Amino acid sequence: MDQSVAIQETLAEGEYCIIAVQGVLCEGDSRQSRLLGLVRYRLEHGGQEHALFLYTHRRMAITGDDVCLDQIVPVSRDFTLEEVSSDGELYILGSDVTVQLDTAELSLTFQLPFGSHTRMFLQEVARACPGLDPATRDPEFQWLSRYRCTEMEPLPRGGNSALGTWPGCARIGGGRYPSGEGRWGLEEARLQGWALLCVGGVVMELPGFLLAEAAAGADPWGSAGGAVRRRDEELEEAAEMSAAAGSRDRDSSGGSHLDNLRPNGKGLFVDQSSRGQDKPENLLTRQTKSKLEITDMVRSSTITVSDKAHILSMQKFGLRETLVKSYLMQKEEDYTYIQNFRFFVGTYNVNGQSPKECLQPWLSHGIQAPDVYCVGFQELDLSKEAFFFHDTPKEEEWFKAVSESLHPDAKYAKVKFIRLVGIMLLLYVKQEHAAHISEVEAETVGTGIMGRMGNKGGVAIRFKFHNTSICVVNSHLAAHTEEYERRNQDYKDICSRMQFCQVDPSLPPLTISKHDVILWLGDLNYRIEELDVEKVKKLIEEKDFQTLYAYDQLKTQVAAKAVFEGFTEGELTFQPTYKYDTGSDEWDTSEKCRAPAWCDRILWKGKNITQLSYQSHMALKTSDHKPVSSEFDIGVRVKNEELYRKTLEEIVRSLDKMENANIPSVSLSKLEFCFQNVKYMQLQVESFTIHNGQVPCQFEFINKPGEESYCRQWLNANPSKGFLLPDSAIEIELEIFVTKTMATKLNSGEDKIEDILVLHLDRGKDYFLSVSGNYVPSCFGSPIHTLCYMREPISDLPLETVRELTLMPLWTEDDGSQLENPMEIPKELWMMVDYLYRNAAQEEDLFQQPGRRLEFEHIRDCLDTGMIENLDTLCILHHSVAEALLLFLESLPEPVICYSAYHNCLECSGNYTASKQVISTLPTFHKNVFNYLLAFLRQLLENSEKNHLDENILASIFGSLLLRNPAGQQKLEMAEKKAQEFIHQFLCNSP
Amino acid sequence: MAKKTYDLLFKLLLIGDSGVGKTCVLFRFSDDAFNTTFISTIGIDFKIKTVELQGKKIKLQIWDTAGQERFHTITTSYYRGAMGIMLVYDITNGKSFENISKWLRNIDEHANEDVERMLLGNKCDMEDKRVVPKGKGEQIAREHGIRFFETSAKANINIEKAFLTLAEDILRKTPVKEPNSENVDISSGGGVTGWKSKCC
Repeated sequence: MDQSVAIQETLAEGEYCIIAVQGVLCEGDSRQSRLLGLVRYRLEHGGQEHALFLYTHRRMAITGDDVCLDQIVPVSRDFTLEEVSSDGELYILGSDVTVQLDTAELSLTFQLPFGSHTRMFLQEVARACPGLDPATRDPEFQWLSRYRCTEMEPLPRGGNSALGTWPGCARIGGGRYPSGEGRWGLEEARLQGWALLCVGGVVMELPGFLLAEAAAGADPWGSAGGAVRRRDEELEEAAEMSAAAGSRDRDSSGGSHLDNLRPNGKGLFVDQSSRGQDKPENLLTRQTKSKLEITDMVRSSTITVSDKAHILSMQKFGLRETLVKSYLMQKEEDYTYIQNFRFFVGTYNVNGQSPKECLQPWLSHGIQAPDVYCVGFQELDLSKEAFFFHDTPKEEEWFKAVSESLHPDAKYAKVKFIRLVGIMLLLYVKQEHAAHISEVEAETVGTGIMGRMGNKGGVAIRFKFHNTSICVVNSHLAAHTEEYERRNQDYKDICSRMQFCQVDPSLPPLTISKHDVILWLGDLNYRIEELDVEKVKKLIEEKDFQTLYAYDQLKTQVAAKAVFEGFTEGELTFQPTYKYDTGSDEWDTSEKCRAPAWCDRILWKGKNITQLSYQSHMALKTSDHKPVSSEFDIGVRVKNEELYRKTLEEIVRSLDKMENANIPSVSLSKLEFCFQNVKYMQLQVESFTIHNGQVPCQFEFINKPGEESYCRQWLNANPSKGFLLPDSAIEIELEIFVTKTMATKLNSGEDKIEDILVLHLDRGKDYFLSVSGNYVPSCFGSPIHTLCYMREPISDLPLETVRELTLMPLWTEDDGSQLENPMEIPKELWMMVDYLYRNAAQEEDLFQQPGRRLEFEHIRDCLDTGMIENLDTLCILHHSVAEALLLFLESLPEPVICYSAYHNCLECSGNYTASKQVISTLPTFHKNVFNYLLAFLRQLLENSEKNHLDENILASIFGSLLLRNPAGQQKLEMAEKKAQEFIHQFLCNSP
Repeated sequence: MAKKTYDLLFKLLLIGDSGVGKTCVLFRFSDDAFNTTFISTIGIDFKIKTVELQGKKIKLQIWDTAGQERFHTITTSYYRGAMGIMLVYDITNGKSFENISKWLRNIDEHANEDVERMLLGNKCDMEDKRVVPKGKGEQIAREHGIRFFETSAKANINIEKAFLTLAEDILRKTPVKEPNSENVDISSGGGVTGWKSKCC
């Protein structure tokens, strides 16, 4: 069991392999067998250094020729090898030990076999670690330099240069394999089957070989040249042997073809012309190129995924795929029909013997050529090597023997080959069926020593034949008459632990029971109980198998539902197949004198299965067992391609339909909104209803590109967003309200009552709502000078004139020659002031009581139409007119004291003369308005006994109206105070 | 063995004058149906359809836009992110053909630079009312180096062909990539977005 001997042979003087263990290197999904050797090197000046040598290895690492150095990991200070529990996996006693190897440069994961040997190995490694004691020297690993390429830089850091070191020499330290594809461990390759040996070129890909070849003649590989030669010979032999063995197989090329169909792409069918002749340099360029391509892919994919819609649908597609699959499954009967295929199932415990006789009596005599062969062996090799190293020359011998004895009327392709120590299962199909075999997976479960080892257990191959999933299990259950419960347990263990990967890695692994058809064969080892040997033999002689069968443990255990539940077995019409003297038909004459038993059995489970025969084959005398065979007609679901395509199309169409129906969609009661005669500060509302369809949806008015809000300032949607349940509705109000900030631009035509709202449904459509209307220009929002030039009411003027006058610059008055006699102050101002002067000079709390909204509208209309007399006849509140006056002042786009004079005014507030000076610099109309208003306010103060107004009140009301901060809203208390003070002066002093 | 095919999503856009039949073209393709009543599209609508090209499942998300002039400034903002644009005119409507150059300019200004364009002369079943000769459509398409089909949503002529050709053209220049969407945060963003998903 200690494979350190083999490693030791490859080491140089002074290097000693302390301990070795065989493990599995896990890289992503790949599993490769590696021999891990802990190597010690004694330094000349005393002290020692360690390194972990990783080898790929051949079937039996008994001599140095069997191992190939793959990688060296120096046991440096940063080296750790720790046991980890793999994610989400329950720890099972007796399961493999997962260890993580970490250094600064690399991180590797291994699975080591459960047991004391692994424990010992881990302990030795731990002991070899230099630790953190600063007193000890840092290991230098100079002795490892012999393993490095001379032309390369020392220790490749970070693995980037690993490409450079590969394949010319062993890699030391970090570095990943350039590519997982095209190279695999021997172990894996062997599992894949014989096609490897048929295609000699493939072996060129094996890193071990490359290593050996490149290192031939080099110092530490003194014997390597020989190794290479030997290996070449072996390859040739193997190729010849397989050529002889599988001539049919190879003619059909079905084997490799099938393996090529494996989902993971690790097919054995390798394009020799390109791969086999690849020189290392070519390999390198190829690697480099693909790396570039990868970067490219990454780059381009980031671009596309920035599209959110794209991402979402990618996600959805996963779901879609699953839906398509389940619909296809549901509708399977629509596009498939049942067709019978002939299956041959055989089982043979060969007792460690090599094939000595033709297997045709068992496999092909007297039957018609089956479509599928499932051939199982037990006790293929009873040697320790087979047990410990999982490798045996017997598998080749028996494979060859079977291949030669398959039915001569048909050509067969090997589909799959799986072996666990002595339990081997071979699956062949007629060549013409090869294309209909898919999703082939093979697994093993050991139930032997410690419940794990492969001396007992089962192997299984699962595959899809046309549209039917089939699982073939070959098991060798626990021996000895009294151990039937152990056998039952083995069966259960195999059922629960046998798990096959699915094509879609996101799906849970498949178990045996998840198959349409299960064929179970093997040396199940159930015996005949309660009868003594003589009685048994007598019944056999009488061919009273029925009586005998009553004492069969399998029969009783199945009847007790303790094992093989749901399985069927055909009637036993042949005599027990165990135990004979080898080479004869005589019952066991050895000391143990075993009672005869039906150890070798074939059972099945599933629909549409008809057993045609169930027999043993006495003609074969190689083993102490007789082989058993059974023929079945199995109804397999075969796809009608045309119907299948049709069904698939229907499903895709219906899914599209479903998805389209799931796009949120609403109907709107109205898409066009026209607001007639929109007036200043007069609310208009139009409402519409959103009726939702069948999908819950979230709606929202969204901003148009480059705009900061979903609609114009004068518009508002209420509510502007919300959620709708299926079939529900909501009323949305569109409100128009024009205030001072918008009025001027509407007067000037710079703005219009025109907008398009975009109502967006989350994950759905967008709707465009058009808003239109006309605005009635008003004196509110018109500049003072504009109003002064309007001798007629604003409503009597053509819109064009209003526009022109509104856009007229503030300082045009000096150039007044072109325009006819402007008025000194806006007539609208005069109207309001005159009204208040005439009617409300003594009104209590004037300017301090709110007016009425509706009355404001009347006042606005009176002012805009010039119907001044209406003001008197309408019988409105004086307070309403007072408020209108304030609103008018507030709506002025340029305040009475122009923005440009604002700061000057604040500065000279308190200095009346300077203040007057500032006023005198205002544009004439503004100056007029200021003087006019102040004169009016002073008049009001004369009636202060009645109206209770004083300078402070008026200053505080008019200060912020006449003097407005050009910076906008920010109201500074100081500034406001100064503004009031400024007005205050004019209220106290007559000009 | 079913190879893992990489699913792709192509966003296509239908543009052209109002009334040329954009919605009908889409309806024919997505639902294989035709409706004679004319309801002007006021907004942006879309449908999906899954097609298989070169063994790849491709989901087409096809956006139908309002053709009316007053919406142009808004609809152009939906051009971004479209991988293919079908520019549709009506062979019985000379004006809709004259506007082609204006639409093409719109594409230049607002769509991604590498967008695949295609010109469709729709309503080709109405031969008696034809005012735009097929040659003129072919000529303008040639001048701009884009594909051209005369189609009829009503008579189901060339509709599927046009969409599949456009999708193929997009597929041809789409680098085949590993789906790495697992690494992408999909929680943000509400799926189908117009200009909301603007990323610059």
